[in-house]
Amino acid sequence: MRIILSNILAIYRRELQTYFASPFAYAIAAIFWLLSGFFFVIILLGPDGLLVQIGQRDQAGITEPPIDVPYQFLSIFLNLLGSLALFLLPMLSMGLYSEERKRGTLELLATSPVTNWAVAVGKLLGVLTFFITIMLPIVGLEAIAFSASNPPASFNVLLLGHLGLILMAAAVLSLGMFISSLTDSTILAAILTFALMMLLWITDLIASGIGGSLGEAIGHLSLIKHYSDLSRGVFNSSSIVLFASYVFLGLFLTAQSVEAFRFQRS
Amino acid sequence: MIEVEHLSKTYGATPAIADITFSVEKGEILGFLGPNGAGKTTTMRILTGYLPATSGTARVAGFDVHENSLAVRQRIGYLPETPPLYTEMTVEGFLYFVARIKGVAAGDRADRVQTAITRCNLIEKRHTLIRKLSKGFRQRVGLAQAIVHDPPVIILDEPTVGLDPRQIIDVRNLIKSLAGDHTIILSTHILPEVSMTCSRVAIINKGRVVATNTPDQLMEELTGGNGYELEVEGDFAAVQERLQNLAGVKSVEAMLSDTAKPNAADQLPEHHFKIRLVSQPGADAGRAIAATVVGAGLGLFEMRRTAVTLEDVFLELTMEDASADPDTADADPPEPTDTQQIPEPATGGEAA
Repeated sequence: MRIILSNILAIYRRELQTYFASPFAYAIAAIFWLLSGFFFVIILLGPDGLLVQIGQRDQAGITEPPIDVPYQFLSIFLNLLGSLALFLLPMLSMGLYSEERKRGTLELLATSPVTNWAVAVGKLLGVLTFFITIMLPIVGLEAIAFSASNPPASFNVLLLGHLGLILMAAAVLSLGMFISSLTDSTILAAILTFALMMLLWITDLIASGIGGSLGEAIGHLSLIKHYSDLSRGVFNSSSIVLFASYVFLGLFLTAQSVEAFRFQRS
Repeated sequence: MIEVEHLSKTYGATPAIADITFSVEKGEILGFLGPNGAGKTTTMRILTGYLPATSGTARVAGFDVHENSLAVRQRIGYLPETPPLYTEMTVEGFLYFVARIKGVAAGDRADRVQTAITRCNLIEKRHTLIRKLSKGFRQRVGLAQAIVHDPPVIILDEPTVGLDPRQIIDVRNLIKSLAGDHTIILSTHILPEVSMTCSRVAIINKGRVVATNTPDQLMEELTGGNGYELEVEGDFAAVQERLQNLAGVKSVEAMLSDTAKPNAADQLPEHHFKIRLVSQPGADAGRAIAATVVGAGLGLFEMRRTAVTLEDVFLELTMEDASADPDTADADPPEPTDTQQIPEPATGGEAA
């Protein structure tokens, strides 16, 4: 057990090092910061922004029902971050295995006394850590805005919302990692991951199109439904279970596909 | 240390290796010699647990490579054809990473990495990013990676490919210095490399081991070792049969005659012939050959012993149409039914 943990740690550290040494990762992060910062300002301070709307409402003399501004803002902004992350995450996960395949380093991992599971878990933790690092400056922005809010934002809602974002990211990255393990083309991995994310994202629509109990069952698989629940501060253990299942599924498929890759490659 | 029995691997319908059997004793260096596509890499990948075999068994240090893959992987250092390197890491950082995933205890890591760096002459490059290293240095990092956890078994797939002559010598010396404590398999298609570094050779062709023995014995036993080259003046055809019938002579052929004019450099004086005789194993017919030639009234202008090189052996074993000549029939790849080793004496050596 200690050996497995130490292996996971080794893979994790190497993976992180790759991201922090890669200009590509910084470029992605920069674009993400730019876009999310832009929307942050627009949503809060823009001409149709929350503050302006509330100002107009106050002028019109409507005070009932009272509006929880931090809560409103957070749920709008987190939804937006979720959509942005949809573009970001496939780009983070695309190289996880395909790069290793292309560079031949998978042969090193596969001939080392490390299980496929340990490699997959280490990699997923690495890329998730990088994603959280990218999120930190944005959380900083929120902290500045919320510190000025009155009434103060509910800490639980904040925590739950961001936990939801991280869980959703873990689910997407895990599935993206599996797709990355299927090909040695990083671009193809990114495109396929993106397509799969789209599909999971709009499962809600598909489900309501189908209707009936089947539609309902499919609807439960939707990422967006569970994510928006969490981002609104609604804690539902089924959301946690769903995201955890996606993560596990991704890890399982990755380990299997690496094993299969070894069995069939010429 | 390494025992391979009836190992086969097919990709779809194409066999990559077929019924390979060999073993390597502790401390030996076994050279895998064969043309490209002969199945060297496949065999090595099976030994390292990277590929499963279709049938047959392979054991490393007593552990089956398939059943006990993790135990085997712990005991093997492997340098694939392309060194597996994370180019964004420094040499030292990379070796620390490899030491970690190979299960070197935390307290020993610094020592092991230091040793590997010193052995592979990487001291002045230890803090350089691998991305910035030349091919030769990358190859050395690849080697360092294979020995960093001090494995009992080291498998090197073409370790000297792409290096300059100076580096090749360094790498060969390194490999030789590793023997003894370590059991090494290396593959190559460079013939001198095998005779210089390996204690035993397995010649592999089209997925079959066609011979295993020490380099010297291979040369001796496979083509009867030595022969003679003669330059004679006179009617060679008249004496050819008598030479052929001498005890200890395996074959006689005219290599050049005055009538054939291949090029100016090989031009012979009139009525001169160049002849090659191949001796039978263990026999030296030198005296009788000279007596026969002179006794027949021919002029003997030159006579020298020729040693068969590993190159000759290799070509003979891997040549497609070798079976056309009955004299070399025993060097042919064997039929699937009988096993690998030709000639017979080599089999005995291998079972040891």
